[in-house]
Amino acid sequence: MNYPFWNVPYLSGGGVIALIATYHLLIALFAVGGGLYLAVAERKARREGRTDWLPILKKHSKFFLILTAAFGTTSGVGIWFAIGLANPEATSTLIHNFVFGWAIEYVFFIVELTTAAVYYYTWDKIEPKLHLMIGYIYAASSFLTLVIINGILTFMLTPGETWLSVAGSGNEASVFWYAFFNPTYFPSLFLRTLICWNLAGIWALVTAARIDGFKQPRLKHEIISWSAKWLIPGFVLVPLCFLWYLAMVPESSKQLLDLGISTIGQGTFTQVTRSVLITVMTSATILALVYFVAVRNSKSFGLGWAISLVLLAFAATAATEQAREMLRKPYVVGNFMYSNGVRKSEVEKFNAEGYLTHSPWAQTEVKNFYGDAETALVKKGELMFRGQCGACHTETGYRAMKELLKGRDERSIENILTTLHDYKEDSPYRKYMPPLVGNPDEIAALVKYLRTLTVPSHETALQQSTPLKTETKN
Amino acid sequence: MDASLSPKPEAKKTRIYHWLDERLGIEGMLVHAKEKTVPSHKHQFWYYWGGISLFFFVVQVLSGILLLVYYRPGAEAYESVRQITYDIQFGWLIRSAHSWSANLMVFAVFVHMFSVFFMKAYRRPREFGWWSGLGLLGLTMVFGFSGYLLPMDDLAYFATKVGLEIPASIPLVGTIVTDIVRGGEEITAVTTQRFFALHVVILPLLYLPFLAFHVWLVQKHGNALPPSEEEKPAAERRTIRFFPDFLAKDFGMWLLMLNVLAILASMYPWQLGPQADALASAPQGIHPEWYFMSQFQILKVFGRWFPGATGEFLGIALFTIGLILWSIIPFIDAESKNGKRAKLVNYIGLAALCGLIAVTIWGYWEL
Repeated sequence: MNYPFWNVPYLSGGGVIALIATYHLLIALFAVGGGLYLAVAERKARREGRTDWLPILKKHSKFFLILTAAFGTTSGVGIWFAIGLANPEATSTLIHNFVFGWAIEYVFFIVELTTAAVYYYTWDKIEPKLHLMIGYIYAASSFLTLVIINGILTFMLTPGETWLSVAGSGNEASVFWYAFFNPTYFPSLFLRTLICWNLAGIWALVTAARIDGFKQPRLKHEIISWSAKWLIPGFVLVPLCFLWYLAMVPESSKQLLDLGISTIGQGTFTQVTRSVLITVMTSATILALVYFVAVRNSKSFGLGWAISLVLLAFAATAATEQAREMLRKPYVVGNFMYSNGVRKSEVEKFNAEGYLTHSPWAQTEVKNFYGDAETALVKKGELMFRGQCGACHTETGYRAMKELLKGRDERSIENILTTLHDYKEDSPYRKYMPPLVGNPDEIAALVKYLRTLTVPSHETALQQSTPLKTETKN
Repeated sequence: MDASLSPKPEAKKTRIYHWLDERLGIEGMLVHAKEKTVPSHKHQFWYYWGGISLFFFVVQVLSGILLLVYYRPGAEAYESVRQITYDIQFGWLIRSAHSWSANLMVFAVFVHMFSVFFMKAYRRPREFGWWSGLGLLGLTMVFGFSGYLLPMDDLAYFATKVGLEIPASIPLVGTIVTDIVRGGEEITAVTTQRFFALHVVILPLLYLPFLAFHVWLVQKHGNALPPSEEEKPAAERRTIRFFPDFLAKDFGMWLLMLNVLAILASMYPWQLGPQADALASAPQGIHPEWYFMSQFQILKVFGRWFPGATGEFLGIALFTIGLILWSIIPFIDAESKNGKRAKLVNYIGLAALCGLIAVTIWGYWEL
């Protein structure tokens, strides 16, 4: 590990990424679908002479511009910051392989941002035909950003045999297109495109809800009904695309899903299944509410309901993304790098030579630490925790070790860690957790540290002398 | 229509309809439902909260019945909840849904009460709606309190122990009443049996008639207009049909709440702690459920400021006066015109709301 460990109490590094990414996706996918929505809606309004639609579309394009250009772009940069800090090894792998991919994406991105602004500011100022063309350029360039980023995101789940055969050799960039058009590329592109259209329809309802339905009932009803139609392709085709996607994911991911389905009754190992079910439930609810509350009751359809639909879409997006992330477990880059940044090829080396010994930043901390041997051991264990567990776990908070290890003594913690370290074929943890790497001393130190999390504070003097425990109060 | 004619499918439907209508009066109900309107204005969001509370109550009943199948009060209480949580298929989900919807229901009832308060929906002729609502709130809280103990894990045990300090501090009768409810001076297996009886028999028997009365009153008087709408001339007020428009939205809101509940219950399943051990030391920072936190904190603080029985007495006196004042609000602010009194009552409401939130936060801060 060539980078310092990023410790995020309560949330974990992964939690920070999840929050920013879900927020970003909700807007970014809207940016792709919403551009097409505006262009197609404007075309329809002009062709059919529906001049009353135009002020509404202008208003929507303003909302669209602010949302995507301000909130979408900043949160996109936020993802870069978050992934760089939370998972620097994986980020580095992506940059080494896809730097030109991102360069291409940025070209489309600049065209997208420019045309979005030009589109809004030239309403009523230039020829309708030209204005419409700008709308279409926007729609195309925003779609192309998806075409690019989709290659990089799907690569992480299924890098493909060709790339894996050269991984680590320094020649990875020579198989750029193989990595880009990887096995899940097309199903994912179709899925995301359909979701973009869904979100275009849902976000359009936010603008439509602001039309006074008692004064302009017909206009409001027409815009709501037309926007609702944007949800139809998605709801018909998403299940099919999802099955296609599932057919392309690696066997280990399918097993994880099977495990979840077979144990849902007990509620164990089911996070991915629960996430998928939440996606299904929230999507069905969106459909029902759009029909019964928005279309059938368009006159009194208010902003509160529109925002509720956006929040439901947020839940659906978050659950889908979580399921997708979970399917990738135990890897961050399929079959190459584990979710904590340890490369599959490095496991043997770290086990023989030590994990922390290969982490220059951790070494500095270990050397500079003053205290008795016992405290130093706990400190060393804490560094192991931050390096190998912190990507997904926290002490108290998200996937908290305090909760997961509650009531366990030193021996029982040692047993779990041994299971994780041995990483036998039949271990259930193997399906979603990386192996624990390190030499026996480091693992013993991790046991000591984890034990401090499970001991009630009054039982050990050691705990009071350890500064890192000061925040744990119950 | 002549019933002897060979019926087409449509006519058949009509015959069934007539048969039912003759016996149940569907026609009249439909006509009434179609004539009934609900005001449509910018504060209408608050109209949903009564329905939301009712929805969570329905979830409580259904999930409660399922838990009832496996729960065993008494010495086996903890073991049976452990089985529900870990052994029985989907037991974890049902229990989690029951606990989450209980909390959501209390929250919804509070929101409903304050929204009714600020919309001044307690004014003539809706006073009984206000009082029956307060009764339902009280019963809801006792429901929550009695249900919390039933798993008999350490948190439930100690939270109930400290929670019972609130009724025990009532002068004269407090200790006796608390001992009766507890079935002795300590919380034991007997207590779970008493709380169980309270939770699944006594409280529902009290609750259902109150609820029926409350809902009947809402139906009788319709939705109240907030003062800002009342000021408008009648021609400017907007309404939507109750059936099917508002009803569709109301059910839409139920569906939305079902989503909220399902997400919470499945992604954050309710945990079960270790079995309660009366001899063990209480876990650090033990406290009752959040909706009792303000009372708990006030008693704690008064006990600190005025040692001995004085503190308890003053605390209880404060609750009593507050509750009486809250109940007679319809008399204090009876007129439909919005004069000085109406404003004063608004300030009282704001003070109560802010006070409740502030003291609750203070309570958690001090843990």
